Amino acid sequence: MTLMVPVLRDITEANSLLADSLRNTFRRHSVLVLDIIASPGAGKTTLLERTVAALGSELRLRVIEGDPTTSLDAERIVAAGAPAVQINTGAGCHLEAAMIQAALDQMDITGADVVIIENVGNLMCPTGWDLGEDCKVVVASLPEGDDKPLKYPMAFAAAQAAVINKVDLEPYIPARAARLRHNALAINPDLAVFEVSCLTGQGLAAWFDWIRAQLERKRAARQA
Amino acid sequence: MHEMSVTQGVLNMALEHAQGRRITDIYLQVGRLSPVVPTSVELFFDYLSKGTLAEGARLHFEIAPIEMTCTECGRQADLSEWADLAPQLVMVKAFERGCACGSKRLKVTGGVAFGLVSLNVEDDPRDA
Repeated sequence: MTLMVPVLRDITEANSLLADSLRNTFRRHSVLVLDIIASPGAGKTTLLERTVAALGSELRLRVIEGDPTTSLDAERIVAAGAPAVQINTGAGCHLEAAMIQAALDQMDITGADVVIIENVGNLMCPTGWDLGEDCKVVVASLPEGDDKPLKYPMAFAAAQAAVINKVDLEPYIPARAARLRHNALAINPDLAVFEVSCLTGQGLAAWFDWIRAQLERKRAARQA
Repeated sequence: MHEMSVTQGVLNMALEHAQGRRITDIYLQVGRLSPVVPTSVELFFDYLSKGTLAEGARLHFEIAPIEMTCTECGRQADLSEWADLAPQLVMVKAFERGCACGSKRLKVTGGVAFGLVSLNVEDDPRDA
């Protein structure tokens, strides 16, 4: 004789609950948290190096680096001037809230202004796991093709900002920054889009301003 | 590749709710946009459930459709004409078309979850 047992629970609920608790921790510390999503090689770490170098004197930045293996990225961030913790996911294709919790055990965020999480290079899986962040930021580099938003709509729909990197290569390749921007906005009209080159520094000022504005917004909302 | 840990999550949750009884069937709901591939879950389940009360249980997947809602008028988009397309394409087409009210601001409001709906367990009458 069999008996039906109703359950009705989400399999990833443990992650969602932990992400909510992280969000509370971040709110208590008044710290802005960004989750950077991109394919491998889009330029996430270089964008963070540039950001740390530019904003390091006015904002206290902390970085959590997710990679399958090696601590090369965290070393780059530390060299650029910000405390960083490396998470190695092994075969894991995305970061989960428990990994962020573990990173916070190794890194004090007291007094920090912004925590930037660099997710594992992957445009699909990271969109499915809440890390307690305020904003997801998708980085797409122009040489990857200007049709990225059409192939990976979830990443662009879930993000608040899109950084189009390597626009200095536009004269040498068929992809067009304007088309990438158009495709990204077709998926998410509210996206803040930045066309940048982390190599030449072109366009990065607007991205830095966006981070400042997000931090201000979060702090204003907290005081309200 | 994350189906192994997701499947372990299914197994743990099912065993918790079975409360020591043998599980014969597990009913799961998978959103078309959820980052989970049912055939991989089945594969890992066979492996992970060995030696547990869920060994041999049948997995049943109910596929939940994508839901997109206009953030301006609250209307749910009718996506039925694209039911046969890949989920990413459905999203792109829906965003392209926008809402009947003229807005292009749509939000994915369903079809992303992966949930355990119910279980069938063997009810041993000797326990009654």
